[in-house]
Amino acid sequence: MNNNQIPTSRGALRKLLIVLAVVAGVMLYAYGWRVTDISLDETQDETRQTSVTRALRELLSPNVFDQDRDSEFVDVNFAIGCPEDGAPIPQPEPGEGEPYIEISPDCGERDEVVTITGHHFHANADAFVRWIPPGGQSRPMVRTDVDSEGYFQTAITVPSLRGGGDEYHTIEVEGSWPEGLPHFSETTETVIEKMVETIFLALMATTLAVPIAFVLSFFAARNLMRQVRLPVGDVLIAFILLPVGWLLGDLLLRPIGELGVRWGKELVMGIIGPAIAMVAYGGIARAASTARLPEGTPGHRARKIALNVLLVAVIIFTLGALGGIGIWVGEKLEDGLLADLGNFINTLGTLVDLSIAVAAALAGALLVSSIGTSLTRGGLRYFQGPSDRILGAVLGLASGTLLMALMAVIANQAAWFGLLPLLVAVILAMQVLGLIYNHLTGAGHRDEANTHATLRLVLQVVVAVAVFYFAYLFLDSGRLIVDGRLPAALKTEVGPFSVKTYTFRAMLMGAVLGAIGGWLMGIHRPFPLGMTIYNTTRTILNALRSIEPLIMGIVFVIWVGIGPFAGVLALMLHSIAALGKLYSEQVENIDPGPIEAVQATGATRLQTIAYGVVPQIVPPYIAFTMYRWDINVRMSTIIGFVGGGGIGFLLQQQINLLRYREAGVAVLAIAIVVSVLDYASASIRERMI
Amino acid sequence: MLKIEHLTKVYENGTVALRDISFEVPDGQFVVIIGLSGSGKSTLLRCINRLIDPTEGRITWNGIDITAANDEELRLIRRRIGMIFQQFNLVKRSKVITNVLAGRLGYTNPMWSVVNRFSPHDRQMALAKLERVGIREKAFNRADELSGGQQQRVGIARALMQDPELMLADEPVASLDPATSHSVMKYLELLNKEDGITILCSLHFLSLARTYADRIIALKDGLLEFDGDPVDIDEQRFKDIYGEEAVRVEIA
Repeated sequence: MNNNQIPTSRGALRKLLIVLAVVAGVMLYAYGWRVTDISLDETQDETRQTSVTRALRELLSPNVFDQDRDSEFVDVNFAIGCPEDGAPIPQPEPGEGEPYIEISPDCGERDEVVTITGHHFHANADAFVRWIPPGGQSRPMVRTDVDSEGYFQTAITVPSLRGGGDEYHTIEVEGSWPEGLPHFSETTETVIEKMVETIFLALMATTLAVPIAFVLSFFAARNLMRQVRLPVGDVLIAFILLPVGWLLGDLLLRPIGELGVRWGKELVMGIIGPAIAMVAYGGIARAASTARLPEGTPGHRARKIALNVLLVAVIIFTLGALGGIGIWVGEKLEDGLLADLGNFINTLGTLVDLSIAVAAALAGALLVSSIGTSLTRGGLRYFQGPSDRILGAVLGLASGTLLMALMAVIANQAAWFGLLPLLVAVILAMQVLGLIYNHLTGAGHRDEANTHATLRLVLQVVVAVAVFYFAYLFLDSGRLIVDGRLPAALKTEVGPFSVKTYTFRAMLMGAVLGAIGGWLMGIHRPFPLGMTIYNTTRTILNALRSIEPLIMGIVFVIWVGIGPFAGVLALMLHSIAALGKLYSEQVENIDPGPIEAVQATGATRLQTIAYGVVPQIVPPYIAFTMYRWDINVRMSTIIGFVGGGGIGFLLQQQINLLRYREAGVAVLAIAIVVSVLDYASASIRERMI
Repeated sequence: MLKIEHLTKVYENGTVALRDISFEVPDGQFVVIIGLSGSGKSTLLRCINRLIDPTEGRITWNGIDITAANDEELRLIRRRIGMIFQQFNLVKRSKVITNVLAGRLGYTNPMWSVVNRFSPHDRQMALAKLERVGIREKAFNRADELSGGQQQRVGIARALMQDPELMLADEPVASLDPATSHSVMKYLELLNKEDGITILCSLHFLSLARTYADRIIALKDGLLEFDGDPVDIDEQRFKDIYGEEAVRVEIA
């Protein structure tokens, strides 16, 4: 076998391809060179060089320290236009040993050069020469150094000022020298204050992001979600029940939560109420558990459901009460030593108060949905043959309608969200077509021929384009995407209801696609629910991560005003996305063995995560959180440029005012804090892993 | 009684791991499954507690169809089936007792167990199981501080927490030295004899299988190659199972 020898023609072709690639590469860079305006002329421009030298010199001489100064003032008179009679200009008489100055000449026209000599000044002082026209504003002329003998000499030119008639102009010299020990300048003090704000801004953003990212990371971990497959029927029923549960939660649980808040605000009731509720729940649970019901029987299941409902109600009530107590405590602490703490607790309480309605509705949605599936699960088994398909079609119809209604609601918020119903419709249609193809040809098994896969894909793409075009017209999407306007306010009458035409049409599409899909799938096939959630979470996280925190900062400044809070929110949102991804990658990297072992013991998914996953991810999670805080400190130093608070705000002001020495202090502070934190986080991370 | 009928598993990448396997295991038997690496031993064991979903076929256990069970039913089945693994599959950073308590999760209230609340009864039980496998004093060490043999015993204690009626052991001694292997196998034998737990154990070495098994099942390329008494495996059978080039390795 002699495969080492490449045939000559192929060798030549390869060389040609390499040359072409190099040429293409050079062209690419040449284009890049042009679009990025790389130009050597600018760098050599002399005025620019002077300014940059000055700016750099000042940035590198940060105004960190200050020293109090003493000064002495000496005046002489100067006449613009010498007296015709040659009379001498009267000058003040210097005292014995006191500083004095001589000027020559002591009269003259504008632009004439005047030499100024100083004597007996404070040694090594700075001498500032100023010109004071009669009754006018003093203007600085020149600065010079006094020597160790107290002598200096300098020259100025007579400025062009309108003469004050016969009156004399004054040349003033201020001798100024440092007195006492150097201390931090005012700038430094402001910078330190802002730096503390910056570090806390980063800390708050990181801390608030961590719990949310923690939860999201499990939904964005492929290895955990891939296993989550449920029968289509279960998934569809759970999905349909979500809005029902939402309404029920809003109707029934919300008043309980709000009652909790009201009672909490009166403290005593807020403590007694939940305590009674919890004790009562414990009692009921204990009483109920005395009845021996074997697992899996209807009685056992009913008891479990009833207890769960009760538990959720107690939790919502207690949560509301805690919020109310927070508000009460916060108000009591408002003025006093613990004002900060009071404000903190009050805000948390208010947050609970504001979100209790959503929490109640959400709890209701999840509760009803999970109860519904666990009730119907056993029953669905009896639907076989045609009734399987009919039920599939009915559930598919309802789910598709619901899904598209949801998309339409989102699309009604901003014009370009109008793409969402189109994309969802296309995805649904592609799935449905795949099902139809498999149904007609009998393909879809593991060992199917490759031609099936190819043909199906081609058909899917064709259908995707067709459905997109149809939906584009049907939903009048040009209005949204081209004109950037919201869907038209037209209404369609559906029986007694009046629905927005746009929403109705979207729902109609969802109903048709859902019904066909449900019919073809039936209710028993496994539905990759986990991967659906995984893909959705990943897409949202990726989209969020691609938006720079500075841009988020701009939006939040509009919402909550200029200040560090806007920065906290912007960095938090970005950190959720970034940490969510980093965390989930850690989950994907863990040893699958313990998960398998815990699952094999009959643990639930939540238990598997708590005992098989969480212990393994604690060190990397801490490491990544430190790393994120580190990054957030860097980011928060510039989030102020868009009004997000912190040191960036100060830095931007000083740069705009061309106060580079003050800006230098901020830059120095950032450099110190970032490098210290970099070192600290690196060494902590090293120890953790 | 565990009954396996026409079990077939085809992985997503097209690999056929099991082809139409059928056999029955009466309660209280110690069954050893032998075969080369990749012959389907692990897949077979994992199909029984549905860590892997079989492609076709039926597994019934005490009259319950495991293959048709939904998530909730599956949890109830799984908690009576213990499993130990070649790599022990302990959470290395957790304490030994936490690893053992994990075996009790199927019986605890999900809410409480998530915040690490086990009843005093469960904690006593965990210590008792550790006592039984002879490492009571290691209960509060981190799992990765233990030797391989000790870790496998933690694995056994964890499985015992389930009060299992059936124990699946996936090459439990493949990562251990010969002496430790025997000690681990002895514990399995003890569970089989004293507690009457049915054991399905996959092994590499025929000599170990002969020592402990009531019955041997041999797999080759996913097919059932042999099912019978250990003494019935003669030279020819051995070559059928392990291939012509195989040489017997005795493990003392």
